[in-house]
Amino acid sequence: MESGLSSLLSVSIDFETSHLFFPKVINWLMAGLFVLILVTKVAPFMAAVKRGERTLPIVGEARDNFRFFGTLALIAAYFYLMAVVGNMFPYTGYGFLIVSIVFLFLMSLLYLHDWRKKTITILVINAIVAPSLAWFILAKLFTITLP
Amino acid sequence: MIVSNKLMTSVGTAALMAALSVSSGVAMAQDGPLRGNIRVVIGSTSTGGDTYQNSAIVVDQLAEKLDLNMKVDAVGASSAFRTLDRDSRGNTLMIFHDQSYLGHLYGVEGYDDIFEKYTVGPTIAINPGNAYLVPKDSPYQTLDDIIAAVGDGETVRVAIQPGGVSEIGFSALKNAISIEHPGQEDNLVAINTGSQSDKNQQLFDGQADVINGTVQANEQYTRLPEDDQKAMRFVWLTARQDTIEQAPEEGLGQTSREQLLEYVEPNVHVTMGDDESFVFDKEFFFLYNKDMDPAIVEQIDEALAEIYAEGEIQEIQKNAFFIPDFKPSDEASEYLAEKMARYEEIINNIK
Amino acid sequence: MEFLAFLDVTFFLLAGLGALVGIIFGAIPGMTATMAVAVCLPLTYALGLHHGLALLLGLYVGGISGGMVPAVLLNIPGTPSSITTTFDGYPMAQKGEGEKALKICVVASVVGGLISAAVLFLFAPMLADFSIKFSYVEKFLIILLALSVIASLSSSMLIGIFSGVIGIWLSLIGDYGISDGGNGKTRLMFDFMEPYLFEGFSLLPVLIGVFGISTILLEAEKGAKSGLVNERIKLSKGGFFSFSIFKGRLTNLVRSSFIGTFVGMLPGVGGSAASVLAYTQEKNLTRDSSQMGKGAPQGLIASESANNALTGGALIPLLSLGIPGDSTTAVLIGAFTLQGIQVGPLFIPENADTWYVMMTALVFANIVMFFLMFFAIKYIAKVVMVPKHILFPIIVMMCVVGAYAINYGIMFDVWTLLIFGVLGYLVQKIGLEVAPLIIGFILGGQAEVYFVKSLESFGTYSIFFTKSPIALVLWGLILASVVFAIVMGLKSRAREKMELSQVTGSTHTLAGKGHDTNKD
Repeated sequence: MESGLSSLLSVSIDFETSHLFFPKVINWLMAGLFVLILVTKVAPFMAAVKRGERTLPIVGEARDNFRFFGTLALIAAYFYLMAVVGNMFPYTGYGFLIVSIVFLFLMSLLYLHDWRKKTITILVINAIVAPSLAWFILAKLFTITLP
Repeated sequence: MIVSNKLMTSVGTAALMAALSVSSGVAMAQDGPLRGNIRVVIGSTSTGGDTYQNSAIVVDQLAEKLDLNMKVDAVGASSAFRTLDRDSRGNTLMIFHDQSYLGHLYGVEGYDDIFEKYTVGPTIAINPGNAYLVPKDSPYQTLDDIIAAVGDGETVRVAIQPGGVSEIGFSALKNAISIEHPGQEDNLVAINTGSQSDKNQQLFDGQADVINGTVQANEQYTRLPEDDQKAMRFVWLTARQDTIEQAPEEGLGQTSREQLLEYVEPNVHVTMGDDESFVFDKEFFFLYNKDMDPAIVEQIDEALAEIYAEGEIQEIQKNAFFIPDFKPSDEASEYLAEKMARYEEIINNIK
Repeated sequence: MEFLAFLDVTFFLLAGLGALVGIIFGAIPGMTATMAVAVCLPLTYALGLHHGLALLLGLYVGGISGGMVPAVLLNIPGTPSSITTTFDGYPMAQKGEGEKALKICVVASVVGGLISAAVLFLFAPMLADFSIKFSYVEKFLIILLALSVIASLSSSMLIGIFSGVIGIWLSLIGDYGISDGGNGKTRLMFDFMEPYLFEGFSLLPVLIGVFGISTILLEAEKGAKSGLVNERIKLSKGGFFSFSIFKGRLTNLVRSSFIGTFVGMLPGVGGSAASVLAYTQEKNLTRDSSQMGKGAPQGLIASESANNALTGGALIPLLSLGIPGDSTTAVLIGAFTLQGIQVGPLFIPENADTWYVMMTALVFANIVMFFLMFFAIKYIAKVVMVPKHILFPIIVMMCVVGAYAINYGIMFDVWTLLIFGVLGYLVQKIGLEVAPLIIGFILGGQAEVYFVKSLESFGTYSIFFTKSPIALVLWGLILASVVFAIVMGLKSRAREKMELSQVTGSTHTLAGKGHDTNKD
């Protein structure tokens, strides 16, 4: 009995494949939990959707598509262009500085609801000052590498 | 401390101001092919480790000599290689040590043959500290005891970090045992762990009989009283004898150079066959992008040669327990290729 | 008392300056104490050891404390260790109690910092000897204990655990790091991802992506309507801060401080585990924890006192074993090596002056931090008055800086922000929970190393029970935590059923929460 238990608990891990041991445990755990959730949560939820009591998340919801996808596109473009422009001026942080100014301005415009001259002026000033300040303090004063 | 507070205050403030003050725009080195801001990536992610410290010393001097903005970034091996791959303009340089080719020899993912993929630049310094230790109350007095014990069929466990600098001494030991006591080498077992603290912990837990360590990190442990659970003893330093001989006479901490010399060859002999003794110096060197302008290679070689000729850098390096070791690119490349070939043999022998 | 000679005006100015700069670094989402110490490390060359240490310790204390600001006001943890501060801090800020929340945090921080400094001063060598009794096995159990909070953290236990497991899974992507003792091989990804994901996702970009970017996406979806981050925020309206809040919470304060010190002390067990563990224990041990996660001061106290107690704790193994207790002290070790000073088991006896100087700097930095923060909070809390169209772009920009700088300039870390921003958004939309996911992510990597290494050296699962008395104590705590979670789960379910039968059509602020509670 004793030896049966200890052999049941014994495990030998080969160092060469030890990187797969824990992920395997987690994969099984995740799969098990997923099935449980499917049965106890998702199935009743889908039934409720069918009856029209509930709506599907994301697809069935109202959304400000312009601002939502605008934000996503702007951020993606921001990240991409920062590296591209930064590559033209290696390790000066200019890529970050220039693209950030444009990004801040565009994203502020995207979120702005009241388009008055005064608010737009503030917005422009902010778009120029904030990145410049960040760039100056971090890249220059603290010599942190920026794109 | 006789220096007055006032003086200290003004010096301190001045230094702070100087350090914080804005460097004058983008420095332009008009007279060389290297221009703009230079980033030196290193193969370690630690800013407290020897690679960073060494790189910082050299890069500081180099930046001054070339009048360029240079910055050391501790991005780690895999990121450093990738960053270097992408930039052939010379704005990205890399500093790393023997791990760069040992990783390849041990077949670690992410390590290519540096002699094929990059240009090997000048060597700059040696860290002579690579060491093997046993608990202070260990039955093994010397490395010979360990070799003999393993030869007699005793199992000896050695805690190392696999796949590089930390493993090479272990491999050499295994190789030596297979030469002196053929067939017994499998009694020397590697305990694969990570950082220095993990390795120490294996020793404290009694999970390892020998650990890989460094003079710098473990010297104080060797001075603890024997009844302390943490007390350790050096049995082997892998450095060459003349490397340690160049160390400051006072050694490190309270272990003098004289004492350190007891643990290197020829006092400790790890055979590679044919009377040859295994030695390993952890050397730091530059790596460049293969397509980088050869004029830059030359420029850095020249600048470093001048710096080393002035002699100040040697003092700084020795102060930090590094052994200055400047070899210009061509020489370094040839030397390191040969070094790699030697270790390749060992690693193949024990496969 | 020779060390007094080293304490001049500059010394205190530098410690104070360090605390100030540290707070600013910590308060910027994505900038951490570690980074603050790392960028100022070269200055210590010029400053000399003692002045340099004053500056760096100031930065350390300030940096850890500063993390509370964005955690409370913006729901973005400024540093990984302030993650649990968001759980109660942000709900309080939404109720208009941002200033009060921050003040509670500051007081808890300074108490945590000072307690840990006292422990460091009095017991460092002794505790170092205790800490080496914790091998892989015990460290795994500590991580498991911290992970057990996942079960009680969310409204539905099943969803919470599932989210946590996803977090662990995500943390395993990449290589099984050689520097942790792994074999350096990659898993859970395709070959084409290797150039980017070799080392997996970095914690900090993941954290600010999930909290920062996804919050912005959720707002954008709603059209970023109101000019202010939250209309309901009326500063200071929702109750003033007074020290009486701490009445009856002293046990919590002291317990959390000790937990923080203790976790800081264990090399390799990351700093973020400290606040999570303290939060878990407060949740388990206190009589009434039903409000935790909805804006309870006790959660803030646990979280902030623990993460500041980390500072003293992490210095214990550094100064008495030569081994850093967390990522910041790992950088701090550089300050010593730069000056040619060894840290190790003999550091304190051999460098008594430096030791006293460090203690002075640590205590002083804590006090400066307290006064700076306590009186500046009124103004800091006004951040939330900045209109969204100004604030959000700046947050994105600062997140970029932090993500890019955390590993000294890796572009993929910036993309991680967006990936996890979108992931965080989706996770909340489909009804999973962010907090357990992140805790899983933070602790997953360590759980793996300790688990696999324990089995590698002992070859049997039974070792987790038979290793040492410490292991048994930890099992007791884990068991208590799980039982507690189940009881709480049943209780809240019963309460919900009652409420549901009374009220029809409940309103939920968080989209994700809405789904779970209704699906229950």
